[in-house]
Amino acid sequence: MNIAAFLKRNVGWFALLLVAAVLPLPLQKQQYTMVLFMLIVLYAVLATAWNIIGGMAGQLDLAAGAYLGMGAFTTGTLLLRWEVTPWVGMFIGALMAVLLSLLIGYPLFGFKIKEVWYALSSLALCEVLRVIFLMWDEVGGPTEVYLPTVNSPLYSMRFTTATPFYYILLVLLVVALVINFRIRATKLGYQLLALGEDEDAAEVLGIDARAAKLKALVIYAFLCGLVGGVYACFYGYLHPSFFDADISTEVAIFGIVGGMGIIYGPLLATILLVGVRELLRARLGGGLEGLYLVVYAVVLIVVALYQPRGIAPLVSSVLQKLRNALAPGKKEASWR
Amino acid sequence: MIRVTDLYSGYGKVPILNAVSFEVSEHEMVAIIGPNGAGKSTLLKTIAGLVHPSSGKVVLEDQDVTGLPSYQIVRHGIAYVPEGGRVFPNMTVMDNLRMGAYSNRQTLKEGVLDEVFTLFPRLKERAEKFARTLSGGERQMLAIARGLVSRPKLLMLDEPSLGLAPKLVDEIYEKIRLLKESGLTVLLVEQNTTYALELADRGYVLENGRIFMEGSCAELASSDHVRKAYLGL
Repeated sequence: MNIAAFLKRNVGWFALLLVAAVLPLPLQKQQYTMVLFMLIVLYAVLATAWNIIGGMAGQLDLAAGAYLGMGAFTTGTLLLRWEVTPWVGMFIGALMAVLLSLLIGYPLFGFKIKEVWYALSSLALCEVLRVIFLMWDEVGGPTEVYLPTVNSPLYSMRFTTATPFYYILLVLLVVALVINFRIRATKLGYQLLALGEDEDAAEVLGIDARAAKLKALVIYAFLCGLVGGVYACFYGYLHPSFFDADISTEVAIFGIVGGMGIIYGPLLATILLVGVRELLRARLGGGLEGLYLVVYAVVLIVVALYQPRGIAPLVSSVLQKLRNALAPGKKEASWR
Repeated sequence: MIRVTDLYSGYGKVPILNAVSFEVSEHEMVAIIGPNGAGKSTLLKTIAGLVHPSSGKVVLEDQDVTGLPSYQIVRHGIAYVPEGGRVFPNMTVMDNLRMGAYSNRQTLKEGVLDEVFTLFPRLKERAEKFARTLSGGERQMLAIARGLVSRPKLLMLDEPSLGLAPKLVDEIYEKIRLLKESGLTVLLVEQNTTYALELADRGYVLENGRIFMEGSCAELASSDHVRKAYLGL
């Protein structure tokens, strides 16, 4: 493909990436802000990965925490026991997450468990793993297991500020977005979208639902596992609470609020919602503990009531109107 | 063309179909009529592979397709148009049709598309519109068209008249008549007995999961049972 044309066509994305890349430079001294930005990117990777299984394939997956935890524990344990660098460990962790996803996905999709039953099964995976690692003293246990710094901070991914983690996750975010676009442009994308729209209809047209959903689940689990490795290194310890049902539900919320199946939706929703949540926490947290959650819930309800298809269609229609105003006569783009 | 013998099927432990046997010959149109809850849709779903049979046989042109997953059954040449159409609302009409050609593992051929558009000119006008913007009748037409582009040997239609205004029912049945005249083998499930018996060659009456009667449509339409229970005469 012509590189110049490619750059021009995706100018918005490159501008966004440039902003994201230089964002930390003026903020070196503001650790809280930097951690906040890092968390936004972390959640954005998870939510963008969720878009594949949730947004496209329409499976309400609530196991992001399970795959994240699996990646974290594998990466951390490899560093702790065998001094394997997390740069390699995170990929082994991601493969463990994939293994886990096959273990649950193969029977679940085989028995055609879907909708709310799939959601509950995937949520259960998270809880089951948390309890297992709580009992399993060799790698987990009820006390935190601290990660050492082996050789150098770079080798063991133990940086003292959030900035390096921000950049690592930013790379993962780009990877997750590119994977989304690639899938969307291939046969798998159409298979998943059809399954998400109407599973029975898609099956009788000749789509192997189990195979397609498993592919989506594996890619999602792999990305979550990678994030898990970085997650462990950022916090510097391992704890069974990493198998976090809250993260799982939040990731699904970002995916849904963003707009099901819209690639930039989860990213947009994560920026807005984590931003709003943290802002509220900072403003209201000092006065009344937990009040920010009430306001946060109201924001979610308003979106569900007035923009049930997510905020991304709203944004893209506004953008479209702007574009029409600037350059009239252009063809209307598809909302995805 | 297709022979179903002693088919038992249901959901979990709930049996729905009891020793159902019937057949459809090539170029024939067979109607299965019966009241709500008789198992008509379950029968089609079982043949299409969406519901797993507990015993019995489904044989398509000497090939045993019993209990195959649905994505393989389509490749054997059975197209199933589910109740209510079930088109993909957030895809365009064209994309819906492309999904229909999926089982052939090839892209939609011009010739096939032309045939479908000749039969349903209204779909051609709406080719680039999202399926969610179509009317009920258009959706049903799209669903049938989506089944046709896979070039099936057998087309199974589940309640094509469901939820449509009488005028649209006429229109849909006119299209089904054209399909029949073109030589397509059709298995039709319908509660709208009048239409079904008028158009089909033969019919079966399904009640409580069993085949209660069978015969040519004229025979069925003149039998006391059918007249009383289904035609309201």
